[in-house]
Amino acid sequence: MNAAVGLHTDNSLKALSRSINQPAITLAAVVLALVLGALRLPFLQHLRPVGDFYIALLQICVLPFLLATIPLAVRSAMASGSAPGVIRSLLFWVLVTLLAVAAMSTIIPSLFFNYSAPNEQMLSHIGALLGRSADTIDVEFAIDPRHATQNKEASDFGIFALIPTNIFASLSSNDSVRVLVFAAIFGIGMALTERASGQSIFDALQHIQAVCTMIFDWFSLLVPIGIVALVAPQVARLGPDAFTALTLFAYAFLTTGVLLLLAAPLLCAFALHASPACVFGALLKPVMLGASTRNSAICVPLALETLKNDLNVKKELCDLYVPIGIATIRFGTILYFVIATLFLGILMGRHFGVVDLVLLAIFSVGASFATLRVSGLSALAPLAIVLRRFGLSYEVAVPLMIIIDPLADMVRTMLNVAINCMIPTLAGRRGSIATTESSV
Amino acid sequence: MMYGMLLRGLFAAVVLAVWTALSALPALAESRPALTCDLQSIVDAKVLRVALTRYDLPSFHVCGPDGALLGPEIEMARQLARALGVRAEFVDNPESFDAVVDFVADGRADIGISKLSQTYNRLKRVRFSEPYVTLRHALLFNRVAVARAAGGQPPAAVLQKYHARLGVIAGSAYVDFAHRNFPAASVVEARSWEAAIESLLNGQVTAVYRDEFEIRRVLKNKPALNVQFGSAVIVDQNALLSIAICDSCSKLQEFINYHIGVTRGEFTLERLLKSELGK
Repeated sequence: MNAAVGLHTDNSLKALSRSINQPAITLAAVVLALVLGALRLPFLQHLRPVGDFYIALLQICVLPFLLATIPLAVRSAMASGSAPGVIRSLLFWVLVTLLAVAAMSTIIPSLFFNYSAPNEQMLSHIGALLGRSADTIDVEFAIDPRHATQNKEASDFGIFALIPTNIFASLSSNDSVRVLVFAAIFGIGMALTERASGQSIFDALQHIQAVCTMIFDWFSLLVPIGIVALVAPQVARLGPDAFTALTLFAYAFLTTGVLLLLAAPLLCAFALHASPACVFGALLKPVMLGASTRNSAICVPLALETLKNDLNVKKELCDLYVPIGIATIRFGTILYFVIATLFLGILMGRHFGVVDLVLLAIFSVGASFATLRVSGLSALAPLAIVLRRFGLSYEVAVPLMIIIDPLADMVRTMLNVAINCMIPTLAGRRGSIATTESSV
Repeated sequence: MMYGMLLRGLFAAVVLAVWTALSALPALAESRPALTCDLQSIVDAKVLRVALTRYDLPSFHVCGPDGALLGPEIEMARQLARALGVRAEFVDNPESFDAVVDFVADGRADIGISKLSQTYNRLKRVRFSEPYVTLRHALLFNRVAVARAAGGQPPAAVLQKYHARLGVIAGSAYVDFAHRNFPAASVVEARSWEAAIESLLNGQVTAVYRDEFEIRRVLKNKPALNVQFGSAVIVDQNALLSIAICDSCSKLQEFINYHIGVTRGEFTLERLLKSELGK
């Protein structure tokens, strides 16, 4: 009797969540947030704590969910014997998508900048913006090397950044990338020992996953409020300066970003033989959650639920790829780095040839991986790797990018979520795994 | 007879020698007045002669629209004169910073106040007060040129071992500093700061070298320069801006140090940058 009441409550909660999170309501919340943000009303700053509270709620179950989901996905793939095919198929589509995103990110903005150079007025505005933000000096150095600032520990960079040397420290510091690596390694170990001993805690993990999903369902009721509370103050932070001085950058970034955001659901619809409107409506939820929270990891549970339940994408593909893909492959950052470099290039009078553009795409993809474990403005630091290869100044880029970052961070996260949702959909399309297995 | 003539001749020679020696004394005194100068001689003369560069040093001392001298350095000189009970007389002929030091060393002025940095060469000729403000050395550099030379490394790596053309003001302490801190650079001396900036804009040099205040003032007054040019501070090199004092004036030096001690805080980087006289 009690179990029946519990199931009924859960179902009615899901029904309520579905009715609240209809695409029309999500879109209305987005439009309302944009309008309020554009009006720059003073009370919007009071919405910020509401938004922060909402993010805190969503973060409650992210790491337990990842710890449960990844080992389950690894076990599922290993148990079914399809693991090599699944992994090959995913790798194939990851590479194809990386190439496509890098190509689009390079070609569209370079054509755009080719026909719209900055005028004197724009340069003067940009100089004034830089001047205002240049209260601090660009570079500090010492003649005597003994006074030079010490570098950070090597363990914070490169491959070391991925190794969970202390999983409890990684969990307590919300370090989702290291937690993912731990979960993947632990999942493989658990699946292998289960075969040998017949004992496992996978049932318990399934229960944990179900609990986390239910808690996310509760918080999903608040998605429209969260969107308004988080997006409106963020948009309001963009002053008119951003649009007068950085018009070229904003247009190039938004145009290419929107094209990629439209391409992802269209390709998903093509792969699923479904209506583009349905796919667009389904993906709107996790993508807009990404826009409002600017945190890709938070979107993982909702993205998984959308792909598995609304779009019927294969469970093992989604469980295996989506948490790892969203946490590690940052398509939005690739686009951002390419456009920032091209924009700085036209400001500084640097011309990019075809070879330069190819190198730019490669460096941007590489630098996007250097943003693992960092978010927000800290994720700008690897941009220096790209800019300096082309003789461009990172010190000029930072103050400019900070101005546009409230908007750019939203678009970057939306792209990360949307394109990473597209990859398992393409990999799972009928016959894809078999075809890839025979062709790889 | 012969003996008498000899005595008279000897006496005349002694008188002539004494007269010649006595008549030479005032001339000797005129050419080395500094040896006898100190606080008491200034009080006795009722005037404190202050040497300044003949050109303005914005935020430090400038010539106002009515021809009157203005600025915190002028105010400090006047405060010193008031404390001594004498009037301040400004000698604003010196053509360069080094010329201000020359005026003090040669006794044509008692003190020199013109954003003077202490250097080893200057300390051989004059005394210096305690610094009234300390500014870090800085560079304004062409971003593209430095980024190209860096080849993917941070700009600091190139600036630390700078080996291109480096602009400084002729006759300033930065000529010495440039040779000492950037031995591989070609030091290009410009007649003024404006000329040095002009040579940076024209591409004749790829960086100019002075203190943090001057670099930030340039960017503050012409923000558009921020796009092409970057600023760099050398964290372990300071310009100690002090008052040059005649070499014999130990008591005056003590007096000035006391004044600087009790008025400390009048000169700060932020205050100087915000000064209306800096535009």
